[in-house]
Amino acid sequence: MILYDFEYERARSLPEAAAMLARLGPNAKIMGGGTDLLPNMRLALARPTTIIGLSGIRPEAPRLTLDGRLRIDGLTTLAALAHSELVATHLPMLAESAQVVGSHQVREMGTLAGNLCQETRCLQLNQKHDYQFKSPCYKRGGACCYPFPRNRPGTCWSVHMSDIAPALIALNADIETVSGTGGRRLAVEDMFTGDGMHPIGLEPGELIRAIVTPLPPANFGWGYHKSSRRGGFEYGMAVIAIALSLDVSRQVCAAARIVFGAIRERPVRASATEQALVGQRIDDTLVARAVAVAVEEVNPLPHHGFTRSYLIDNIRVYLRRALVRAVERARTQSAAT
Amino acid sequence: MLEARSAQAQTAPSIRSRIIELFVNGERYEVVVKPRNSLVEVLREKIGLTGVKHGCEQGACGVCTVLLDDRPVLGCLTLAVECDGKRVRTVEGLAQGDRLSPIQQAFLDQGAVQCGYCTAGMLMSATALLERNPKPSVAEIKKALEGNICRCTGYNAIVAAVQQASGQGVEPVMR
Repeated sequence: MILYDFEYERARSLPEAAAMLARLGPNAKIMGGGTDLLPNMRLALARPTTIIGLSGIRPEAPRLTLDGRLRIDGLTTLAALAHSELVATHLPMLAESAQVVGSHQVREMGTLAGNLCQETRCLQLNQKHDYQFKSPCYKRGGACCYPFPRNRPGTCWSVHMSDIAPALIALNADIETVSGTGGRRLAVEDMFTGDGMHPIGLEPGELIRAIVTPLPPANFGWGYHKSSRRGGFEYGMAVIAIALSLDVSRQVCAAARIVFGAIRERPVRASATEQALVGQRIDDTLVARAVAVAVEEVNPLPHHGFTRSYLIDNIRVYLRRALVRAVERARTQSAAT
Repeated sequence: MLEARSAQAQTAPSIRSRIIELFVNGERYEVVVKPRNSLVEVLREKIGLTGVKHGCEQGACGVCTVLLDDRPVLGCLTLAVECDGKRVRTVEGLAQGDRLSPIQQAFLDQGAVQCGYCTAGMLMSATALLERNPKPSVAEIKKALEGNICRCTGYNAIVAAVQQASGQGVEPVMR
């Protein structure tokens, strides 16, 4: 799987990278750590004629902003994110979600923005297609789909496997972008299209500059679980991220955000499950009811060899454990924090 | 075949090579590279250090692990052009002359080398771990080595080797 010849230019800043993208057009791609782009280029899934390298840009360290949010540079490596004291203190779920990505090597190379913008994946898609595959699939510009042959043309059920996106959505984070025309701020939740063909809803030439997260409220608890076969160095079967807060009495759920990752073309909010919790007194019965709602509400795509019913069973078990853990954390959080 | 190649030569733009500077195992090299050359290709083919291995070429196996400015990275997913001026350490740089490093000796003492193909990458990941965390627990060892796959040993001997090298009371079994 030798790479083909391409041009390489190095950007010295994000605005310069945005200008290069505008100048070079759709055949140019930016590269952070290269851990998503280069494997896809080896498989001929991505074929940029020019790579704009961002590795010469030194990211800002994570910092607290004047209005009390945590700001993390998009080019922060996952290793730096996992080991940041500031992140571990204020947003331990984010540190945890960074720590379960890939391997130590991948975390030293990969960037936070790259993890969010990664391409969707499918067992049949992410293989070399010049051997046993007779025709390209829809995502490769062809006329068929191998795992779901009866799908309508143009429908791609590849899955967004990011471990960090569900945590950021649960934490109500925003992204700040840079483009030739300025840039904007939008919720992480709103940057995904839900379309396997074009999963990331950023404009051409628009780059993520930073991720900005509010600090957790009082009586806050989190639960996070990434289930996988061998417990390391793999994409998840299902990723669960829960952020909830209790009321003053610490008996009633005041707010809840529950996000599933690696089960659909984008991370999904479990809205009905959240509504089953908010305003209710938290006990075992409520948790069981919430899990029952989730199992009805969630609609996982079978992916990477896992059946839909297996993934639902997976969620049934691990959602309950993560919810219990989140409530425990919310109840034991010291009043001073 | 020849016809196709000459047609391509006429229409494809020629990608210019560039010269980069690498400090590999303490020695300075200037190498001519194209943007598409990975660090593995450059280390093996242009510098001659074949301890770095080609494996999956996708970031899924870890046999290409090298230390780039003391950080473990995958050589297959690192473009050489991005390493201009950087320090690289490969498995050839671990021994001091004839004296193996403690982790290399421990791999031999624990029988942690079978076919040997994962070994170079394992040693680099283990070296990075011990430089950062001199007395890692078993869980920390497994977490640090999770990016290196081994088909032969079943990993237990490798974990024991890291424990031995870090002076945590594990005795050699292969002497």
